[in-house]
Amino acid sequence: MLKKSSALIMALTIMLVLAACGGNNAVQNNNQATEKPAQTENTQKEKPAQKTTITYWTDDRHDQEYLKELITEFNASNSDNIEVELTVLSENFNQSVDIAFSGNQAPDLLRIKSANTGVFVKKGYLEPIDNYLTDEMKTKFDSLIIDEVNRFGGKLYSLPNTGLTLRLVYNQELFDKAGITAPPATMQELVDAAKKITEVGKSEGIYGFALNYKNPKGAFDRSIREILSLSGYQGLGYDLKTGKFDFAPYAEVVEYFKQMWADGSILPGAESLDIDPLRAQFAAGKIGMYMSFSTEPGVYQDQFPTDINWGGTLAPTINGEIKGKSEIVSAGTWFGISASSKHKEAAWKFMEYMYADDVMTTYHEKGFGIAVVPSISEKAKQPDIKGMEGFLVGQHDAMWPATPSITPEGANYGDVFFKYMLSGGDLNGLVKDLNQRYNDALDKAVEKGEAAITPLADFDPSKL
Amino acid sequence: MLKLRKLQENSLFLLPSVILTLALGIYPLVWVLRYMFYDYAGYGQELFVGLDNFRRLFRDDLFWQSVVNTLVFAGGKLVLTIPLSLLLAVILNASFRGRNFLRAVYFMPTVISTAVISVVFYILFNAYNGMVNQQLMKYGIISDPINWLGPDHAMLTVILVAAWGAVGNYMLLFLAGLQSIPRDLYESASIDGANAVQRFTRITVPMLGPIMQVIIMLAVIASLKGYESIMVMTEGGPIGKTEVMYLYLYKLLFPVSTGSPVEQQIGYGSAVGFATALIVGAITALYYYFSRKMNRVF
Repeated sequence: MLKKSSALIMALTIMLVLAACGGNNAVQNNNQATEKPAQTENTQKEKPAQKTTITYWTDDRHDQEYLKELITEFNASNSDNIEVELTVLSENFNQSVDIAFSGNQAPDLLRIKSANTGVFVKKGYLEPIDNYLTDEMKTKFDSLIIDEVNRFGGKLYSLPNTGLTLRLVYNQELFDKAGITAPPATMQELVDAAKKITEVGKSEGIYGFALNYKNPKGAFDRSIREILSLSGYQGLGYDLKTGKFDFAPYAEVVEYFKQMWADGSILPGAESLDIDPLRAQFAAGKIGMYMSFSTEPGVYQDQFPTDINWGGTLAPTINGEIKGKSEIVSAGTWFGISASSKHKEAAWKFMEYMYADDVMTTYHEKGFGIAVVPSISEKAKQPDIKGMEGFLVGQHDAMWPATPSITPEGANYGDVFFKYMLSGGDLNGLVKDLNQRYNDALDKAVEKGEAAITPLADFDPSKL
Repeated sequence: MLKLRKLQENSLFLLPSVILTLALGIYPLVWVLRYMFYDYAGYGQELFVGLDNFRRLFRDDLFWQSVVNTLVFAGGKLVLTIPLSLLLAVILNASFRGRNFLRAVYFMPTVISTAVISVVFYILFNAYNGMVNQQLMKYGIISDPINWLGPDHAMLTVILVAAWGAVGNYMLLFLAGLQSIPRDLYESASIDGANAVQRFTRITVPMLGPIMQVIIMLAVIASLKGYESIMVMTEGGPIGKTEVMYLYLYKLLFPVSTGSPVEQQIGYGSAVGFATALIVGAITALYYYFSRKMNRVF
């Protein structure tokens, strides 16, 4: 009796502990599953008449209503009895995806962005789509297939639809008030304009410039990145010609930002400013200029409606010469098929439906994003949203080659340069230290096979 | 035989707790102890690197700065919270109308989500148009706005917010302690001519000794581990001025990516987690050693 009970208790304990620890196994199983050909449902053959339900997860919220319309239409019209279920996640998308994959509850389709595509590929979450592409699609997207953006290890995982352009956002009324006749074309002009606006507006709580410095890297990645790419340098501190990090050009721009801070041209409390409180102050006419993505026209239409006369224009360059192209960001990817999906064919059918010309054209025309596919941008009408005209893709916009994604030891460049802006220091020493740490991390990533460096000795940013 | 059966029955009752502790406490701990010696990003290769993560830890200025910030934050929070919560508890232990209502009011911040509290204070302390500056200027206390969340004042601000959120909780614990002190002690003291201050210093404080020791220990641990309100209000900034240990650890394990991707650093994060646990444990042990006299009630 005693033995039986003890054995029962022991068995129960072991079972439960193993079950609790099963998550890790699930991850391993998942990773294995990505290496093997995906298992089709040969054990449970579906009848053609049976409904196939596929799930799509996205963290985009701005296009929700239109997306729901499209899904309703697809569900009603497709001849394969496929039904798409939409899940919109607001926060922690990447973590939710991680949990779903480790628990074998991953969606069939994912919204993937440049910030997570490479990581998702490495984690084995995504299915290559090379075998699904039609010749027509290959032609349509040919110029937009970029290594380390949507193609990894020679396999294609997603296709582009829209991208984000970066611009200087300015308040025309404050320009007029300060006697500024044209948006600044050089960094010195930007510093001067910010100073002038502050001089004429400070008594009313108006300041020349602001950025969301609560997250310095986030602030610089929407401003200095653009100034550098237009000036002919890669915007995240990477030198495409040498295949190494070099923050010297970055430091040159930081000096001007530091000057604006010293001049008192920055909105007080910008050290703790998030992007939405910044937008709220801009909408209230309290900020002369800031830099951001092509999401802003939509923001000022819906989120912070404003009557001020504002616009978007090309960012200034270091010395007024445009030697490069303004980088179009988040442009290479849209949909990705889950490697663990049991309905990859059905997922592709919905993906194909979404990549149709009329859908992509409407995306652009409704202002959900700026079309980067040439055949779409050529024929799509301008979105009818105030301010959008300043953000449209033009002759000075282009996608740049991808840069290796690495995480250095110690502080990132955003924190380092922001600290310099506030408290000074030896800028050359800081650049040297950043170069050292970033290149060390790059070497390690190459050694581990997580990054590939291909120096582009003949790279010419003006020819992008 | 009967004893054995009893033992089996008891074991069965204990089983759920044992299983949960093993699965949710011991297993993750073992997992972390293993990954301290690896270079691992949460996927892909797990490279054994020996003591590399600890070598990196010793030369990691950001980590040591976060240790200093944690001590400042915890010290500041304790200095404000403990005396204030004891004072409130003593006042609210007396009999007067509205006592229960006030207890509920002071306890309320403990119930509200830290994230919500922090967002509200972020708005109130806004340098540009926050209500705190507006009120201080309205009454002529300050002439220029104070940059509450700027490099010079951010630590003070997050300490004030943390203290505001914690006072009610410790007040309640002190109240429980106060109610365990026999009434007749106070009555005897009053007959002997002791005034209110003497009753407080000679009876209340010594009699509270054992429970106070535990309350302060809980407060020390909570202060050393607190980071939620800082994460919402300043994200550890500006320029690292409010980066505390557990926030630094959180960012290593769950990096927030804006624009370019940032990878999780599970290996190094585990080493940092181990080091922070050691530091918190050591400080708690030291406190317990030096406060052992509080346990003696005569």
